[in-house]
Amino acid sequence: MTSSKTNGNLPDLDLGWMDQHGPWDTHAEPGKYGFTLADIQIGEYGQVPEESNNQTGRPRGSKPRANSMRLGGYTVRTKSDIWLENASFLYEEALQRQWSSATDVPWESIKPLPDDVEQAQCQMATFLTEVEFVAGDVPARWISSTTPDYFEARQVLLAQVMDESRHMDVFRKRALANGGGLMRATGATAGFVGGIDLSRDFTEMSSRLHISGEGAVLTIFRMGELMAYNDAEKTIYRLCAQDEARHVAFGVMHLRYMSQNEPDRREEIHSYLDEAEGSMLTDAANPAGRLTQTSESLCILLGGGSDKFDEGFRKLVAIRRRQLQEYRKRVISAGFGDRFDNGRSRLNELMAQAAA
Amino acid sequence: MADSQTGTKSAGDSRPMDIPEPKFNWMNQSRQWGTRVTPDKKGLTLDKTNVGIYGEVPQRWGDQGRNPRGAIPVKGALPIGYSVTQKTELWADCAAELYEEAIQRRWAPATDVPWSSIQPLPNDVEVAICQVCTEILQYANIDIEVLTNWQHRMSYGYHEVKQFLATASLDAARRYEAFRKRALINGGGLGLEPTGQANRFLLESRGGWTETVAGLALIRTLFVATVCEYLYKHSYNDAERVVYSFVIQDLARLLTYGVEHLKFSLAHDDERRGSVITMIAIGLGMFARDLRDPVLREALAIVFGGGISGARNEGMSIYYDLIEDFRERHLAMRRWLDLPADAATMPRAFRPRDQN
Repeated sequence: MTSSKTNGNLPDLDLGWMDQHGPWDTHAEPGKYGFTLADIQIGEYGQVPEESNNQTGRPRGSKPRANSMRLGGYTVRTKSDIWLENASFLYEEALQRQWSSATDVPWESIKPLPDDVEQAQCQMATFLTEVEFVAGDVPARWISSTTPDYFEARQVLLAQVMDESRHMDVFRKRALANGGGLMRATGATAGFVGGIDLSRDFTEMSSRLHISGEGAVLTIFRMGELMAYNDAEKTIYRLCAQDEARHVAFGVMHLRYMSQNEPDRREEIHSYLDEAEGSMLTDAANPAGRLTQTSESLCILLGGGSDKFDEGFRKLVAIRRRQLQEYRKRVISAGFGDRFDNGRSRLNELMAQAAA
Repeated sequence: MADSQTGTKSAGDSRPMDIPEPKFNWMNQSRQWGTRVTPDKKGLTLDKTNVGIYGEVPQRWGDQGRNPRGAIPVKGALPIGYSVTQKTELWADCAAELYEEAIQRRWAPATDVPWSSIQPLPNDVEVAICQVCTEILQYANIDIEVLTNWQHRMSYGYHEVKQFLATASLDAARRYEAFRKRALINGGGLGLEPTGQANRFLLESRGGWTETVAGLALIRTLFVATVCEYLYKHSYNDAERVVYSFVIQDLARLLTYGVEHLKFSLAHDDERRGSVITMIAIGLGMFARDLRDPVLREALAIVFGGGISGARNEGMSIYYDLIEDFRERHLAMRRWLDLPADAATMPRAFRPRDQN
């Protein structure tokens, strides 16, 4: 299809590009959930390479240009390094369940609270404002290093960055909405070795961030009813739990894919889990851990005041045990349950220490 | 029943539990207590939380952790390694407002686009639309990689900007998704990989976020927004109209942030002026090289002209109108920013038709 005619001072048409395209005659069709990412994973467009040699950033399935420059510099180019089977579902769910901290939280339901309870709420809100965006900063960094051939996984991480941004702002808003203020930061996500920020491998990062870190916070959010004093707080915890559950699901599904497709890396993954278990109750990033600021705040909130600290502590211990139980389920679901049978896991020991 | 040796006491219930004596040493520690922000008709928006010390945005944020602005910082925490630490390097007064607007105007390509309105089109038009989709989704990919590559380097003290950029990267993810879906739904497929000079310029602009913004906003975003406006006027069905209108909204926010940030940065750091001017000149030069490639030009002309026959005159004429609109808007923004804005200094690709 080449035009040989000229049009005055308009350039001639080349049109040679019209015959250069990816697989043609594609008829993706919307399904019952709309027109989802899963619906366009058809034919060659749905084929995800085990290794990606796409260094130009071209869309998967498009016709490559021989003279394209290698701009991408992607370091994540192996499917098992980042893949998960249900990425399309998680992404679409994330878009459907986006919410607004400005208008979806009944802020007017917040009424003055006893000073000790308000301080505990504000300390927890300060902590959550501080730690939630580690799960925004870090996935963002990995997104830019991942080949677009694995765009489905990247899309989920992009939605996560947005979710975490909202978490950061909703807890800031809570701290400033009821006569209190921000309190003392914890440094829980500082740049220490073994920290989420410094991971040099995506799966290592995901096991720290999604499985142990966010998993622990998810348990707290799910127990939000126990520490909420009004509908606004209940709404915040419920909506955050919804988001956090997707992030944890990403980690579980990724580990499962890794376990099934890279058995040689299983021992390595176990060592990340060893590390996670070692600090599960002591890590400052776990609000139910042993850091005084957060654990005492939780005890006040769970008990109903500083004078009911003991009652709150018992509930905190129940939460710690639930965190450990939920962690166990996740690890089993991810395909690493053998560690609980062969004595490698420290979970039983941790269960006993939960009351300390 | 306090145990003076261990600092714990027995709970006295059926299951013995040593309950630690609370320290409460985190209580009564706030830099500003008594804060009560309230929602208005737009809800409880992020900018509302900027009261008292919480609204004091410093010129430099030296904290290398995730200390929320206004909280009491942690001393001795190991640094995370933020590199964008000056207000002049990223700030825009409108960031909080744009963040909330982005959330209010969220959309989902799966369910908010009437995909069933797309009917078979003449083959030349379908090929052209699919090529345009391939180009725009590649641009979206670069936006994702540029934004996420910078986001994690930005200091926590400027959380409004980090949060707005989280919305901007999710917007780009949606663009990536929506244009891929459009390409695969109507008997076509993805086209030829786009050229990448401007992409390279954006990805390799690592010296400063402000300089990156100059290219991202004043060149790439403005161009894609202008293209989408013209596509909207020459769309073939409701689905395309809806996609273009949502994308135009999304890009308008990124453009607003970009221009407002440049305004702020240039007003407070005159030494930046030279590098911004240079970046724009280099960016336009690279973009002009991309435009010399006939693929996007001809594809757009076919879409605007209703087919190959209409592309030669009407379609190409509309394409040049588009380029002129881009040029005039670009120059208007430069004038507003008090940057040199002489059309004669722009590459030939952007000069008026009679000067080409």
